[in-house]
Amino acid sequence: MTKTLEEKIKLIRSPNRLTARQVIRQLISDFFEVHGDRLLGDDPALTAGIGLFHKQPVNVLGINRGSNIQQRRELNGGAVRVTGYRKALRVVEAAEKFKRPVISLINMPGADASAFSEEHGQSEAIADLILKMGQLSVPNVALFLGEGHSGGALAFSNVNQILMLENALFSVASPEAVQAILKNRNKTQDASEFMPMTAQQLKKIGLVDQIVVESPSNTLMDRIDKAIVNSLNELEKLNGLQLKTQRFKKFENITQI
Amino acid sequence: MSHMPEKNSWQVCQHCGKHVHDLQWAPDFRCPFCGVLQRLTADQRLKITVDAGSWQKIDLKFQTTNFLNFPGYSEKLKRAKTTTDDEEAIKIGIANIGGFPVAMGVMDSHFMMGTLNTTVGSAIKQIMQIAIEQQLPLIFFVASGGARMQEGIFSLLQMNTILNQWPDLETTKHVVINVLTDPTMGGVSASFGFKADYVLAEDHAQIGFAGKRVIGQTTHEKPAENFQTAEDLLTHGLVDQVVARENMRTKLITLLRLHSGDDVHD
Ligand SMILES: [Zn+2]
Repeated sequence: MTKTLEEKIKLIRSPNRLTARQVIRQLISDFFEVHGDRLLGDDPALTAGIGLFHKQPVNVLGINRGSNIQQRRELNGGAVRVTGYRKALRVVEAAEKFKRPVISLINMPGADASAFSEEHGQSEAIADLILKMGQLSVPNVALFLGEGHSGGALAFSNVNQILMLENALFSVASPEAVQAILKNRNKTQDASEFMPMTAQQLKKIGLVDQIVVESPSNTLMDRIDKAIVNSLNELEKLNGLQLKTQRFKKFENITQI
Repeated sequence: MSHMPEKNSWQVCQHCGKHVHDLQWAPDFRCPFCGVLQRLTADQRLKITVDAGSWQKIDLKFQTTNFLNFPGYSEKLKRAKTTTDDEEAIKIGIANIGGFPVAMGVMDSHFMMGTLNTTVGSAIKQIMQIAIEQQLPLIFFVASGGARMQEGIFSLLQMNTILNQWPDLETTKHVVINVLTDPTMGGVSASFGFKADYVLAEDHAQIGFAGKRVIGQTTHEKPAENFQTAEDLLTHGLVDQVVARENMRTKLITLLRLHSGDDVHD
């Protein structure tokens, strides 16, 4: 059953949506969380650390929006702050050093909109993470649990393979922002009718490698597990240079309109 | 009749609202009353920056099309082309500045606010490649509202495809300079905007990631008056220098000379 964009948005923003922390808890053993960017502070919206995935050490970046009002306030609704990108960068650099794959788990509205992040160089922090993710000689994989928009989400998804849950979204801007432009043109259709942003649309253009079916929900975690294993197994065959080239070409090919 | 002022020879300053004659604007387009700068077109920028007659334009690889059939985009493109008499929001080429050959990308906020789309992204990657192949210093004049919404995810992916290619510039050992002008925002700010060896900001320019208005709405606090100005970024350690437009060319020549490998004699 295909859902409308509105239904998808409602689902992925629901307090009951599967969170990055839940995925980490269930699929990663011996998880060791790291804190802080060593400069300004620690962004609780980003759970970052190392753990074992099928007995293999992996580095994990998980974005949390929070499941209730208090959590959402603490976690800034998942809008990663400047401190989050720099914490992520530390973890990604460690992955390069210790030759471990990186797994990002994404559900975020976009980057933080605050004076704090702006005044402490959010732009360059995002750019640095995008750049480093692209240069990795180890595999990186992003799983969109919910939505991800703008450069903020891109920083976590400049990866070899992108996986998306069936109802997840990935776009240049929030569907509301796109809708606002359309409204000016008296168009009432879904933003996604004019702009690929659903998992299904993005698979068609070659951006998404695997879509994970969401129901039945009691076995969802098994399917997520299998999808990540599949990706890592495929990427395991490539050496450092090939991984970098594959990543480079993946995105270059999509943008050749 | 010939002594009569021509039509359109007066322009209203967007900042203070005063009428300013063309002769008073030229050549740097700073309002003589309030001191605020007018945004320059790519041609105006080149004129005050490069050695006269040295600009060699490089053609863009392709023309922008409304490939997503996004409502209103075709009309917007057409209007932008007519008002700017340009193909896109960037000009790339090779020029001399103070006798130093450089590869250049000059963005134009008059063309759909200098937004980053597939064509602009491809032009940026193209001039990077040329700087590498021809072993030239690279200078970007940045002016952009961010990613162009009308090309959706394809605009967004310009950010990482530019950055994936960015480390190749290291191989040239030539200097890369970004001049951030008004406005430098969003996906341009958060991709190559701050990644040059030197980041200069033109005075009064608005520079940031999220828009001031969005930040005000999100945090329910009105940002300070000078928030996201070039001057404020300097205070926060985010740019190397704030440079007045009148001094920009001289500053660039100094930087180029310092990286030319030539011994400096008086
Ligand atoms: Zn004025």
